Amino acid sequence: MRGEAVMLGSPFLISSQRRSMAAVLVSATLVSACGAATGPASSAPPASATQSAAASIGFDGTLLFGAAISLTGSTAKEGGLTRDGYELWKETTNANGGINVGGKHYLVATKFYDDESNAQKSATLADKLINEDKINFLLGPYGTAPTLQVSSVAEKNKMPMIEGNGAAESIFSQGYQYTFGVLSPAKNYMKGLIEMAAAQSPRATTVAILTADDPFSVEVADSARALSVANGLQVVYYAKYPNNATELRAPITEAKRKAPELFLNSGHLAESLAIVQQAKELGFSPTAFGFSVGPSIPDFQTTLKGDANYIFGGSQWTADLKFAGDDLFKTPANYNAVYLKRYAYEPAYQSAQSTAVGVAFQKAIEKAGSLDAKAVRDAIAKLDFISFYGQIKFDERGINIYKPMVVEQWQNGKKATVWPPDVATAKPLWPTPPWSSR
Amino acid sequence: MDLLQHVLNGLLQGFIFALIGLGFSMVWGILNIINLAHAAFIMLAAYLAYFLWAGQGIDPFVALPLIMAILFVVGYVIQSRVINLVMRASVLTTFLLTFGMEALLVNIALRLWTADNRQTKPFYANVSASVGDLRLPYTQLGAVVVVITLTVLLYLFLDRTRTGSSIRAVGQNRVAATLMGIDIARTYALTFAISAALAGAAGTLLSTTSAFSPGSFGVFNILAFSVVVLGGLGSIPGALVGGLVFGLVNEFAGTYALEEREVVVFAIVVFVLIVRPTGLLGREGYR
Repeated sequence: MRGEAVMLGSPFLISSQRRSMAAVLVSATLVSACGAATGPASSAPPASATQSAAASIGFDGTLLFGAAISLTGSTAKEGGLTRDGYELWKETTNANGGINVGGKHYLVATKFYDDESNAQKSATLADKLINEDKINFLLGPYGTAPTLQVSSVAEKNKMPMIEGNGAAESIFSQGYQYTFGVLSPAKNYMKGLIEMAAAQSPRATTVAILTADDPFSVEVADSARALSVANGLQVVYYAKYPNNATELRAPITEAKRKAPELFLNSGHLAESLAIVQQAKELGFSPTAFGFSVGPSIPDFQTTLKGDANYIFGGSQWTADLKFAGDDLFKTPANYNAVYLKRYAYEPAYQSAQSTAVGVAFQKAIEKAGSLDAKAVRDAIAKLDFISFYGQIKFDERGINIYKPMVVEQWQNGKKATVWPPDVATAKPLWPTPPWSSR
Repeated sequence: MDLLQHVLNGLLQGFIFALIGLGFSMVWGILNIINLAHAAFIMLAAYLAYFLWAGQGIDPFVALPLIMAILFVVGYVIQSRVINLVMRASVLTTFLLTFGMEALLVNIALRLWTADNRQTKPFYANVSASVGDLRLPYTQLGAVVVVITLTVLLYLFLDRTRTGSSIRAVGQNRVAATLMGIDIARTYALTFAISAALAGAAGTLLSTTSAFSPGSFGVFNILAFSVVVLGGLGSIPGALVGGLVFGLVNEFAGTYALEEREVVVFAIVVFVLIVRPTGLLGREGYR
């Protein structure tokens, strides 16, 4: 079976117990190199077998959480952030006595598979996690399309899943009972950006929207279009590009021709980078650039360097927010510090909401006082608490409509929270100067 | 003016596509192998260019010959030590082998260098020359010069040198070439090495125009395949024409039918395959 992994690219297990073994094998054999997407910037230092054994002493049992995440493929970066967020929750929880279920303390263990950024594969692997690996609870994959597929697997198996990286309302309109999303829904991603653009001076009056052709991005873009109209902006260009396309000179040239004041992209990190680079090459310089995904991720600045400045991003969470959380991480600032210490890079919102998934699970399991899937599911549905990530509470569909979103802007090499005004740490830099004078 | 910008966008991209197709076409035409690891060679070169620039401060256009030389050696070794073992096996075997190598190299890259995005970013990266309203990115202009130079050199090599003639001879008729005393194994390795070196040039150039991570390159295998189908297998002008046509089609499909771009582009590839199975510069190739 391992042998096949090389040729067929089949999933490779990377639970933390195995990671050190895989690291040793990687240079020696072809097999262990395949599929394991960890590295210096994002992986845990290998926990040796003796450490794991020692850690489980003093616990009454182990709870296994599983997820199929995109560790390779088009959203490998985002998937890596998701894994790092889950792992930080696991380590922090275990260091603080694990999960308390009716007086018994359970150690948290995780098992991850690589879905290769493929939604169908994610569903297959989720089924494997539930039925072969016998996980106790399911953590969400990365991205709307995989989450949608996995949610039907969770439903079929009556397996509670909390997810933090699938925001399209299409996930929550299926009437499923076992899927919960801690993050704000897709329609809110561009809300702050558009309201901010309408409130600036000079105020933006026209907007171009370029979106990836996947369910999440289209949902974001369609609501951005509606919100633009509601805020008095005229939509002068709206186009969808094939998912994962990074050759976008053609639509950028078209957008430039329409001379919009606000340019919005709803897509993924790879496209956000390509758009900034190609817009610069083509001399396209609207009053403001805004992205749904990209600016929050460290790569945005490390890759684009100075060209990242002035660019806005809608964000689920920033370290600047002021929540007094009822969880192990307490505040966004503290979470930021713990995460930075652990991984040597600052968390993106994708990291924070993945950690929040674990936090929500822990809260619900402890409230339920039971490991019964139905009991835990009901406890999740009733959650209402403030975490370092913000309020966690689900509507009847299972999505968290109660947590607001914010707008970030890169200012002089640093991310600043610029909207809404009551949580902003800096004023938006507006308008964006032309490329030649940035 | 916008129309002209679109034409320029398409052509500038097309030159890099042509370079990718050129290396792919050589291995396909001479060794009769569809090398699915071609994109992984491009990836290796992109990382080499990045690390030489980020670590040593070497300009990618200066590093280009060195990177091509390194990829040449890598290609030579991989062909003579690995691919040569299955040269006479069925198409499926070579397919699986090169596909496996691709998966292996990409996953090793992921482990060594993570999924972090990088870009070789000298001061002129993503900066353009302006001609009126038209924008011409410097790195893409540099790429055009590189591609034309390499194409001419390759043409002269194949046409004017003894080794070049032996490569063409092997492509035309392996048995006859053997009877004429040509060292087949060496010729195969050499051809594969040249192809890898061309991929090395492509990777170096691509690393300056956009951000990349190990997963960014897989798309170039299907692109190379399409370029070769469009232009015609086993000819240098074919790869050049195929690349430029692909670039233009991609740009204009992106302008007028962005959402259906892939449908339009690949429908045209299929159409050419039906109407002119030997490609736009239709010739029987080497076989």
